[in-house]
Amino acid sequence: MDFKDYYAVLGVSESASAEEIKKAYRKLARKYHPDVSKEEDADTRFKEVGEAYEVLKDPEKRAEYDQLRKYGAKADGSFEPPPGWQSGAGFGGGGYTEADARQFSDFFEEIFGGGRRGGFSDGFGGGFRQNMKLRGEDVHARIALFLEEAFHGCEKQVSFAVHEADEHGRVIPRQKTLKVKIPAGMREGQHIRLKGQGAPGVGGGEPGDLFIEVEFAPHPHFAVEGRDVLVTVPIAPWEAALGATVTIPTVGSKVNVKVPKGSTSGRKLRLKGKGFPGKHPGDQIVILQIAMPEKHSPEAEKLFEQLAEAEKNFNPRSKLHV
Amino acid sequence: MSKQDHILTVEVLDQDGSTFTLREICERGECHAEFVIKLVDYGIIAPLEDSPEARQWEFDIAALSRLRKAQRLQRDLKMNLPGLAMSLELLDEVEEMRREVTRLNQRIRQLMGE
Repeated sequence: MDFKDYYAVLGVSESASAEEIKKAYRKLARKYHPDVSKEEDADTRFKEVGEAYEVLKDPEKRAEYDQLRKYGAKADGSFEPPPGWQSGAGFGGGGYTEADARQFSDFFEEIFGGGRRGGFSDGFGGGFRQNMKLRGEDVHARIALFLEEAFHGCEKQVSFAVHEADEHGRVIPRQKTLKVKIPAGMREGQHIRLKGQGAPGVGGGEPGDLFIEVEFAPHPHFAVEGRDVLVTVPIAPWEAALGATVTIPTVGSKVNVKVPKGSTSGRKLRLKGKGFPGKHPGDQIVILQIAMPEKHSPEAEKLFEQLAEAEKNFNPRSKLHV
Repeated sequence: MSKQDHILTVEVLDQDGSTFTLREICERGECHAEFVIKLVDYGIIAPLEDSPEARQWEFDIAALSRLRKAQRLQRDLKMNLPGLAMSLELLDEVEEMRREVTRLNQRIRQLMGE
């Protein structure tokens, strides 16, 4: 078991006052709240911060923790409590009402979890009496899809944690994995429901549902706006000037598009119905971008000179008033 | 066949218009109706048809997600309702901007020919 340095987690010194600890906690809780932060480990950090505060805010628990801290973490960072260790500030006396005990680390469990090992279910929630019929919790999860997967539909494996009561009535998180069939045309922010795949009910109550929100992984070429798919397509200056038929990518395929004569950079072409599939399919928007070769042959240079002469009244910087 | 191997077909909520009544959203959000009414009063969530003719409130799944987010923020950061309303609006804005930044970065990369 690893030793948890709660002072380091909150970024305070060992001698920090209760006020300093509260301040540090509040700041970090705001920073790492999983609904606020986009940092990948926000969830873990938030739990750590909550656990550290749970101990350090309580003078009794803090005193016990300080004692253990002195007793010492081993050099390799591992930790064993002293033989016969028993917390006096465990769940019973510690005001264990707001924080979610299921979220805390093994370290916390070992030090302060005495109450949980014995008859924890009596005090926590109290919802597992046999005569009560309770609907299981709904579970909310997210799933990241590649654009192609969302576009064409796919089969996807989803893993999530459900809280279940074991035979002793203790609530423990269990990892659940399901294979689900995602229908074609799902867009970012949409939700799907799997009836009855949440936490099991209690006392014959029906199970909760699983709700999954769809997210998109960034795509190297395509962007999505509502039902429309956007793609920037480079074309040669002569294709823009004279018009041309060019092959462009669509999601999972390609298509030939006519670039109108006299096109400029940034011009948008709309391909009706080539966006997200569905009852009202979206469009694919092609944004033209004029690309130049990096090197020109002497012949090309000569032609450019002729072009410069023929178009000498054109000022590409007229908008800059120069 | 184990449970994992079984492929489940999902129900797309935002497409077929599945909604929750006030009672259902309270049940799923594990909260009292008063809390939901307050969230509606503060504009944190909105029923689908907020008209006098609507006999009862109906909420969509986005409202349920938001309700749960509001609960978490209230519980974890000890926020009051006006603070909650403002935070959620700002978080929406931040989220929209993050997406916009991603989109624009992508456009820039494409324009630079990367």
